[in-house]
Amino acid sequence: MLTSTDFLFYVLAFISVFFGAAVVIARNPIYSAMSLVITMISVAFLFGALDAWFLAGVQLIVYAGAVTVLFVMVLMLFDLKHEMKTFSKGLLGNGVKLIASGVTLGMLLVYIWSTYATEPTFKPLPPAATSSIKATKDLATSLFTDYIFAFEAIGALLLIIAVGAVTLSRITGGTHHADS
Amino acid sequence: MPILDGALKVGLDHYLYLSAVLFVLGMIGVMMRRNVVVILMCIELMLNAVNISFVAFSRYAENVNGQVMVFFVMTIAAAEAAVGLALAVTVFKKFREVNIRFFEHLKG
Repeated sequence: MLTSTDFLFYVLAFISVFFGAAVVIARNPIYSAMSLVITMISVAFLFGALDAWFLAGVQLIVYAGAVTVLFVMVLMLFDLKHEMKTFSKGLLGNGVKLIASGVTLGMLLVYIWSTYATEPTFKPLPPAATSSIKATKDLATSLFTDYIFAFEAIGALLLIIAVGAVTLSRITGGTHHADS
Repeated sequence: MPILDGALKVGLDHYLYLSAVLFVLGMIGVMMRRNVVVILMCIELMLNAVNISFVAFSRYAENVNGQVMVFFVMTIAAAEAAVGLALAVTVFKKFREVNIRFFEHLKG
């Protein structure tokens, strides 16, 4: 019997795949960005369905908030009035790309089906572990003990990225200084 | 129908199927779109698909290691979007367009 959580999964999966396809298909980049927001939000709810409440919040704030706003700001800056060629040209090349994607999808699905379809469904968590405060505390403990070096390295990477982005945006007139 | 009922009961494999479908959608977008900003969006879609499978495995194995990895993936995704969009802005300043074919002029 389908429970409400299962039903929620199917609805969210449909929404995320539908709007994920819309990201790829939409001609106007703004529509792609808006579809991406909806996909991000449904993925956040899927994280919630998997009891990863803190990650669901981070997904909403960082992805659906910050990253997508960055995309929309850049699109606003570009102000693409004229419609550029949306898809790459060449019937043969596009056919090969689609066939390769289909083969990849088929291999992934068959592998998942043959390896994980017989696995039991998720065991219900003990009541103490379903509390979001406990789960978040476990996550923080793991992040600041087992993964402390990776955490610090990510911090250093973010600093480098910030400096690099500023440096790139200070370049005027493209990349060819000689002929500009 | 017990067989269908067993297949419809959501488990680890359903999340992995969803993850694979979203990943391949993003892959198609990366290969077939010309607009650099849309290509970056499709990369975000692929990273999100990977995040779903990380969280599903983390829930299945009942430990938080997968969720820590999702943190790192999110950070890398934000960094990649920042650098990619900075590059797109640089190319746009020069060519007034963000088509992917102008990126072959990025030399030196």
